[in-house]
Amino acid sequence: MSAQGNLLPVATGRESWRTLRALARARRWPLIAAVAALVAGSLLAMLTPLVLGRIVDLVAAGKGAAAMTGPAAALVAVAIGAAFLKALGQVLVARVGEPSVAELREKALERALDLDLETVEAAGTGDLVSRVTEDMQLVAEVARDILAYFAISLLTIALTVVGLGALDWRFALAGLCAVPIQALTARWYLKAAPEVYAAERVARGALAQRQLDSIGGARTVRAFGLGERHLAGVAEASRAAIGLAMRAVRTQTRFYGRLNGAEFVGLTAILIVGFLMVRADIASIGEATAAALLFIRLFDPINIVLGLLDDIQQGGAGLARLAGVIDMPRRPAPEHPREPASAAVETEGVTFAYRPGHVVVDGVDLSVAPGERVALVGASGAGKTTLVKLIGGVHATGGGAVRLGGVPLEDLDQATLRRTVALVSQEVHVFAGTVADDLRLAAPEATEERLWEVLTMVGADGWATALPHGLATVVGEGGHRLTPTQGQQLALARLALADPPIAVLDEATAEAGSAGSRELEAAAARVLRGRTSLVVAHRLSQAADSDRVVVMAGGRVVEQGPHEELIAAGGGYARLWEAWRAHRAE
Amino acid sequence: MSHQWTSGSVLRHVLRGQRRRAVLGTVLASGHQIGEALVPVMVGVVIDKAIATGDVSALVLWLAVLAGVFACLSYSYRFYARVAVRGVEEAAHDLRTRIARQVLDPRGVAEDRLPGAVLRVATTDATGAARILRVIPAVASAFGALGVAVVTLMWTSVTLGILVVVGAIPVLALMQVLGRPLEKRLHAEQDAASASAGVAADLVSGLRVLKGVGAEAAAGDRYRRMSRASLTAAMRSARFEAGFQGVATLITGVFVAVVAVVAGRMAADRAISVGALIATVGLAQFLIGPLQNITAQSAAFAHARASARRVAETLSAPHRPEGEGDYGGARHDVVLDGLSAGPLKGLDLTVGHGELVGVAALDPADGAAVLGVLAGELAPDEGRALVGGRDLAGLRAAEARAAVLVAAHDADLFDESLLANVALRPGGPVEEAIAATATDDVIGALPDGRDTRVGEQGHALSGGQRQRVALARALASGAPVLALDEPTSAVDTVTEARIALGLREVREGRTTLLVTTSPTLLAACDRVVVLARGRVDAQGAHAELAANHEEYRMKVVG
Repeated sequence: MSAQGNLLPVATGRESWRTLRALARARRWPLIAAVAALVAGSLLAMLTPLVLGRIVDLVAAGKGAAAMTGPAAALVAVAIGAAFLKALGQVLVARVGEPSVAELREKALERALDLDLETVEAAGTGDLVSRVTEDMQLVAEVARDILAYFAISLLTIALTVVGLGALDWRFALAGLCAVPIQALTARWYLKAAPEVYAAERVARGALAQRQLDSIGGARTVRAFGLGERHLAGVAEASRAAIGLAMRAVRTQTRFYGRLNGAEFVGLTAILIVGFLMVRADIASIGEATAAALLFIRLFDPINIVLGLLDDIQQGGAGLARLAGVIDMPRRPAPEHPREPASAAVETEGVTFAYRPGHVVVDGVDLSVAPGERVALVGASGAGKTTLVKLIGGVHATGGGAVRLGGVPLEDLDQATLRRTVALVSQEVHVFAGTVADDLRLAAPEATEERLWEVLTMVGADGWATALPHGLATVVGEGGHRLTPTQGQQLALARLALADPPIAVLDEATAEAGSAGSRELEAAAARVLRGRTSLVVAHRLSQAADSDRVVVMAGGRVVEQGPHEELIAAGGGYARLWEAWRAHRAE
Repeated sequence: MSHQWTSGSVLRHVLRGQRRRAVLGTVLASGHQIGEALVPVMVGVVIDKAIATGDVSALVLWLAVLAGVFACLSYSYRFYARVAVRGVEEAAHDLRTRIARQVLDPRGVAEDRLPGAVLRVATTDATGAARILRVIPAVASAFGALGVAVVTLMWTSVTLGILVVVGAIPVLALMQVLGRPLEKRLHAEQDAASASAGVAADLVSGLRVLKGVGAEAAAGDRYRRMSRASLTAAMRSARFEAGFQGVATLITGVFVAVVAVVAGRMAADRAISVGALIATVGLAQFLIGPLQNITAQSAAFAHARASARRVAETLSAPHRPEGEGDYGGARHDVVLDGLSAGPLKGLDLTVGHGELVGVAALDPADGAAVLGVLAGELAPDEGRALVGGRDLAGLRAAEARAAVLVAAHDADLFDESLLANVALRPGGPVEEAIAATATDDVIGALPDGRDTRVGEQGHALSGGQRQRVALARALASGAPVLALDEPTSAVDTVTEARIALGLREVREGRTTLLVTTSPTLLAACDRVVVLARGRVDAQGAHAELAANHEEYRMKVVG
């Protein structure tokens, strides 16, 4: 597995194969049955041109119309049999492909959900989202439509060549005249096409991005009078995309043109061989006819096989990215997992650096008693967020120890850790679905009564009651739009439902604007009651309401104590408070 | 008023604009289809004239004709594909730029639709409507091939011609009857399948939030249920499709068998030649293709029309009305005179030239309405908004925008460098704006400093950083009148205090309205106007209001 920078890993070819083999092994019998049905169907379908050749021979031999009864019955029987086997084959292919796709997507998502937060923070969610959607889609298309087509076409080709040989080896040889042209064409195409299509995709992506920028930001464009400049940008990106689309279509039509050439060469060779063989009395006219008809039947399958090679390549690349996620090693479970004895939080000489030499948290000793409410204060870059992430187990410490309830973080398994300490950041995400679904992510068994209870606690009962369908109203992407304040109230409600003994809030109330912040602060205070909490304070009023204020600067704790004491001490915090109060004093 | 478009006029516009390509494409597509139809006929002729007779010169002659047929079908297809793609792309380009022009017009669009919806129209529907250029050649060439096939058959034998044409009709009808409901079902199943992809994207986007409260197991369960439901739907649809394909294969197989047997009996009776027999069977097989294509194109046409309808709606959306005057004001003061708009009820508010006035709206809707009127997005029901003594409603939109810049609270950044985002208008106080908004701190933390690209909608930056860059951009514009909406809501307290001072300095001598409830910012204003219930409730310095105004103290000072 190769990791690129901080991004998620991509599986090697061998690892992808292993994933595929595992999926196939789990469905061995449907797979064998599907292949058998497809082979039988292709064999049967090949009989049609052979029977037609027989009819030609009967006519050439001067047999009367009555002689047609046998071949007629054969043709109808072949039609019925081939139709039945085709349908059966398709169902069987679906019974292999669809559950495999489902298993793959479930495994990928399960692994994605189980990634530790540190990896997610480093790689961002964008890559992960594109893997579980776009790459999954690529793989599903190949498994669903393309692979079956490809297999049927490949079988038809192979069996037809055998069929031609069964008529006479010279027919097969004539048909194979087309192969060198096809092989060269395929080789050229597979080399040229990926680059051409990739360039087209990139240009289309750039165009979409331009349009998103300009149309999505239309208000800003208008406000600053940038209309003409943005129009020119869209037009330019659009022109570039057209140029590359034309290049792609030229490549594609050249490809099919060469294949037409191969068809002509093969067909002509068969007709000439037929001509010579009939003249030499080695073959009948009917056999020459059957050979030509068999070869014509090959045109479509060959186009399909060669045309799909590119899609299959892409599907393979998608699979490699999915398998890369699925096969990621899990963080090893602790050897002697322990349960925290209390809701106390303790850090001892904790140090952390994102990059070597740039220490962000520098030897912090902090001890928070069960049920205590601590506010962290300091300028941006003081290390507050990093410290609470260390306590929440997002990052492993560079040095020193973090203990929850007396147990070092390394001795807590992931499930226990997440049950013990919850993190709410300023990232607002309302999950698509009903309000009830959104909340029940934190507590699947919660009754409707309980949901209303927590909504009331976070002050959301008012707007929730006013929603068109109450808790059954669909919110999030594509649903009823909630304000950032409402979204964050839901986040606090989820926290209340998850009911962890320790809670960490990282500026969870910041994005809501001044008025919203006050509402959210009050909601947060109610949710945090009875829990040990660390709050990275956006507004100093939050600090004033807490049991203890911890002031950080340059990765260290520079002051701590109850709000009143720090004010009385007249240090840095007192000055900050002074500035904050200045415009708020009565 | 914009030109009124309909789905029909959009499609006609596309066809007119690409008339030459549409005609040429139709001719070429027909050449291709006819060539395909002639291949089995030519095989029959070669067998008849050369193989059955052993005549070498006939073989050479007819193989040469076969070569001609292949060349015709191959080159026709090649140039048809190029002409068709070029036509679709050019037409889509034309629609795309028209939509962009419409959306970016300085007057704005009267009913603002969600950007996502407009974006879909500009991307998917512009191309969708342009696809009409592929529908027409496809239908015309299918009919052309059909004609050639029928004529060839009739020429061979009228009986066979009639049999094939008449027989093809029930075959096609049966496929339609079976196919239609299947198609509907397929769409439903596809929706179910794509729903599970949507859930996956949603859960993973919110992964940090999920893990924060330990909800990953619940989320995994939910996804598994969705995935299983999708699987059931997909299996059902696969069975339907297999059934349909099976029946379709059966029908065509029996049809071809019947034609082959009838033609075989006629050949046995010497009514037709062996070559004609081969050609007939080949044509019967071939005919199914163009027939299916004609019916498939009705769906393609419906798609193009639906896309064209959405394009037409977007293009026809009326612009907001604008006046005809130029601005040319010398003193840039703002007077709202008896203004009623949205929640505002006869608001009187004056901001003198060069003044920095805080507007504290106790109900956020009042502040939004003031900004809406200044941005030209909300038309006054009564009263006027004067800037530099001129009624905003009487100015051309571009003039009004140049005079008054309204910077939104959640302003969008563009996917360019940080500096390019700030220096949008030439000649503005860029450096001062960067310093005043503490954007220099942001720059210092970025890998390429001010040349760092801010990413799609500025997502390479944090919310607070984005807001500072957007504010720097507004200040750097040097607009005569600037109206800001909660410019520091995501900024930390220490930085906010710095910004309050910097903002004053940069806007020194220029007129500024600051709609906010932040005490730090309001304290930095020359004067604060308190809005309540659609009117001015009180005015004065922040400290006075904080001391004397009960509601202000509750909502602002809190």
